[in-house]
Amino acid sequence: MVTHEEILKIANLAKLSVSPEELDGLTKDMNKMIGFADTINAASEGAGSFDSAGGLSNVFREDQVVPSCRREKILGNAPCTEGGYFLVRRRS
Amino acid sequence: MNYELVCGLETHVELSTKTKIFCSCTTEFGGEPNTHCCPICIGLPGTLPKLNRTVVEYAVMAGLATHCEINPDARMDRKNYCYPDLPKAYQISEYDQPLCRNGWVQLKSGKKIRLTRIHIEEDAGKLVHERGNTLIDYNRSGVPLIEIVSEPDIRSIEEATEYVETLQTTMRYLGVSDCKMQEGSLRCDVNISVRSKGSRQLGTRTEIKNMNSFSHMTKAMEYEMNRQIDLLESGEKVVQETRRYDESTGCTEGMRGKEDADDYRYFRDPDLVPIHVSKEMLASIQARMPEDPQKRLERFEREYSLTEADAALLIERRRAADYFEAAAKGTKNPRTVANCITGQIFARLGTDAAKDDFQVNVSPENLNALLRLLDAGKIRTSQMKAVLEKMLDTGKPASAFLSEKDLAGISPEELQKLCEKAAADNPNAVKDYRAGKEKALKAVLGAVMKTTHGQANPMEAQKILAEIMKA
Repeated sequence: MVTHEEILKIANLAKLSVSPEELDGLTKDMNKMIGFADTINAASEGAGSFDSAGGLSNVFREDQVVPSCRREKILGNAPCTEGGYFLVRRRS
Repeated sequence: MNYELVCGLETHVELSTKTKIFCSCTTEFGGEPNTHCCPICIGLPGTLPKLNRTVVEYAVMAGLATHCEINPDARMDRKNYCYPDLPKAYQISEYDQPLCRNGWVQLKSGKKIRLTRIHIEEDAGKLVHERGNTLIDYNRSGVPLIEIVSEPDIRSIEEATEYVETLQTTMRYLGVSDCKMQEGSLRCDVNISVRSKGSRQLGTRTEIKNMNSFSHMTKAMEYEMNRQIDLLESGEKVVQETRRYDESTGCTEGMRGKEDADDYRYFRDPDLVPIHVSKEMLASIQARMPEDPQKRLERFEREYSLTEADAALLIERRRAADYFEAAAKGTKNPRTVANCITGQIFARLGTDAAKDDFQVNVSPENLNALLRLLDAGKIRTSQMKAVLEKMLDTGKPASAFLSEKDLAGISPEELQKLCEKAAADNPNAVKDYRAGKEKALKAVLGAVMKTTHGQANPMEAQKILAEIMKA
């Protein structure tokens, strides 16, 4: 079972602030998610390991440069930019 | 109490592949911010990484050169942490199945520093903190890195420096990285603890992040070691934490909010398949590795009769050593070739960085041609040196500076005549010589050399003069 303390720790790692009112709800949701993973764990017996997708290995790319995207495109969806950089404003 | 340092290093080395680890953007250093980017390296949803073959090959080379076991089945994992330099909020790295394990690096004293592992991972973007805001440039995001992790075998600051220098030389020699600390292509995290000398127990360690120069590393280690000793002496405890070195104050300070390994929630990256290093693949990589520098040094001494000092000067820089071998091919006196490189050519290049790059406008073939003229007795050493200077000035071959006449040399008949004339012009010297003053011959020889502009073979001329003057 996931505890309130664990929720607060995970929130801290994810740089999220959680209010006391939200705590119960989040803990319940997290427990449901973990429970779902338990279901997967139970089902994966004999289903092959997760990390060898279809038995493939060594899917490589050759080391050849392809032109990068135009900067306007790269920055296109950014809420804030400055001088060609992504800009992260200080939180007040 | 007497204390000793216990130190292990995590060294990040940027690989000098042309493209990033998971996309085909260039890895070139510098460039306008965010111009070496694509949806993959800025972590847009729906993109898929595809591993650069050369990254695997370079990492395996690094592992082989440092005596590591190569893991035949390596895996890539996600290391989760939230920081704006990491657009996906995870870094793709290797957790429990790194490519290389259990290696070592040998110091000059013969001591071996054991390596725990070498794994491949992606670099993060660059943050510029300005007036409280943060600017992000993702050009570096996705540049391939290897992280070389040592065991805590290092016992002094000098050993730490030598260890990093050895890694630097090895990686440069392999051609897998330029290891420029000032450009961030080699960075170290230093793990430090102290203990009373002779104790076998490890003390509590701290980690100093991101050392990007030898002088900072030395100063930071000195400061941190003394800080820990002071704490222990005053009966306090060292707290295990990550610290940052502040160049302006010369102090280290604690960084808050550092995750434990568990907090990274490592898991296999489901977008990437396992890396299987087969025997064939290993053999093909091995075949492409340059000769081990130590073995090459011994071969240079043996094959080219170079002194150890000369051989070492060449071996230190792979490009210089390669150039030497090309230029020395088929020449009678490889030592002269070595002297041309370590003397005139190194002097032209000047800085250490330029010697590393070894961009010389005289091709090894042209130097070889010049030295063959020397071998054939068509020119003399002083002339060869002067011509080499002109070649270095202009990039032109030797033939551009030597006339037909120069190359034809002086025929024996001509030399005989010149000697006779010189003797006739210097009757006093001849008289002295006949009176037993052997030195007088040198004066006449000087005259011959002067009229021939140094082209005459002095040994031949001396023989002829001795014959003429004794009569």
